[in-house]
Amino acid sequence: MSYCVETQNLNHRFSNGDQVLFDIDMKVPSGSIYGFLGPNGAGKTTTLRLLLGLLSKQSGTIKIFEKDFDRNRIAILGQVGSMIESPSIYAHLTAQENLELLQKIYQCPKSRIAEVLEVVGLGNTGRKKAGKFSLGMKQRLSIAIALLHQPSLLVLDEPTNGLDPNGIIEVRELLKKLNKEQGISILISSHLLMEIEKLVTHVGIIHRGKLLFQGTLGDLHVKQNQDSILSIETNDNERAMQIISGMDFKPTHREQAVELILTDKQSIANINKKLVESGLDVYSVQILRNDLESIFMDLVKN
Amino acid sequence: MLKTRRTAAIWMSFIGGFFIPIIYVMYSTYKKESINSLIGSGMNIWRRHFGWNWENMAPFLLPAGIIMASSLITQMEYKNNTWKQLHTTPQSYTTVFLAKFSAILILTFQFFLFFNIGIILSGVISCLIVDGKMPEESIPVWYYLKENLKYFIACLPILAIQYLISLRFKNFLVSIGVGLIMLIGTLIAAPWQHVYTSPYSYPIIRLMPGREFPTGLSPHVMAILYFFLLMAISFLIYIRRKEKG
Repeated sequence: MSYCVETQNLNHRFSNGDQVLFDIDMKVPSGSIYGFLGPNGAGKTTTLRLLLGLLSKQSGTIKIFEKDFDRNRIAILGQVGSMIESPSIYAHLTAQENLELLQKIYQCPKSRIAEVLEVVGLGNTGRKKAGKFSLGMKQRLSIAIALLHQPSLLVLDEPTNGLDPNGIIEVRELLKKLNKEQGISILISSHLLMEIEKLVTHVGIIHRGKLLFQGTLGDLHVKQNQDSILSIETNDNERAMQIISGMDFKPTHREQAVELILTDKQSIANINKKLVESGLDVYSVQILRNDLESIFMDLVKN
Repeated sequence: MLKTRRTAAIWMSFIGGFFIPIIYVMYSTYKKESINSLIGSGMNIWRRHFGWNWENMAPFLLPAGIIMASSLITQMEYKNNTWKQLHTTPQSYTTVFLAKFSAILILTFQFFLFFNIGIILSGVISCLIVDGKMPEESIPVWYYLKENLKYFIACLPILAIQYLISLRFKNFLVSIGVGLIMLIGTLIAAPWQHVYTSPYSYPIIRLMPGREFPTGLSPHVMAILYFFLLMAISFLIYIRRKEKG
């Protein structure tokens, strides 16, 4: 498998001595949408800044498109579009003028300006200066800037910040389309787990500078299932405990329900059937903690 | 230069360039003396007129204008948070460094252009208003070009040091404050034999022809050497910054 972004033993310490990244071994497969998740202050932006050369690398290696970044910086950046932290736009210029500046640097066709403005929904801003845009419009313009030169890799740091729900959906659909139709690899950081889940193919979870999980979304869902809890409420929970224990599970009695670790879906049916056949009234069968947020919280807590 | 569209920097070079010539027109109208009244003084009237304008521009307004312009150009990137955008484009750091400095140079050049247009227009207008006719001598173009070049060289150390300060400090007021304090200090120390050690002194030194300095070098050579030294220091500070944007 080829990786468009690969880091090894990436460490970083701020000038005040605080170490903020610990041996980050990030691997972003080519053609994937990689969600880089973590709470605020986890090290997401620091990692992305290191990838783009905005912070001097102190130790470890960074490869983009399988080339060492330090030795191939200009060639690599010609194929990377990025948006780091807050939008970087000239407030006194219009959307078109902002893009014209970069069109000259990237030497891409002038027609791309109108194209990307249409793609992000800013085709009609006319002579309005970017400083008068709403935060959502500024985010969109930043995405347009990142797309201008048709990069092979997009590095986006919380691109949906400040967008309304419609805007979030539009950006998500846009990114999916770019990935599917043009094969653009996307590395996107976020702290919005529900959003990431709907978009990405791969996930990396970082907390306090350590990469706690890295893999496909499917791998994360497996983990999700492994850590899920089945909660059953019956008219006689004590008896239910005995029956379920006899089925080689280890249930625990919690308030008005019996809980056990769920291993597979078939177990739900088997347990329910056994309880009913034993004469118990089953009031509810629920799967608890079946969401990414809980997985994430467990990972960061541990 | 697209970035400087609709910015104070552009307006400053325009207004700054015409400021002294406009004052001249007002003065000559009030005094009813045009540049034609300089005929017979032993020097071409345009050279006298040129000298008058530069004597009033060079000591303070020109350096102050450069301080403002160079601070505005770099501060634009801090204010708009666009340094990180620049540093993720496929350009070498050297290119970015020189491109930013070139923008300041172009603004300075524009100022010179406006100022010279202002000098010529003020001479013509004063004659038309006061005498009802055009100036009676021709413009010594080659002289104007040579003198402008010398003043431009005299500005280079100021351009370089202001660029260094404004790259180093994000706060706009630091670069303007330091620049103005240094400029005022230099003006006060103008009679001092070692005033050439201040990068802000060279426009003033131009107004002291024949003055010699302990280095034995001409002021223009010293200005150029100072410029290269300050630019080298600027570049080192810029390239060695651990955080770029």
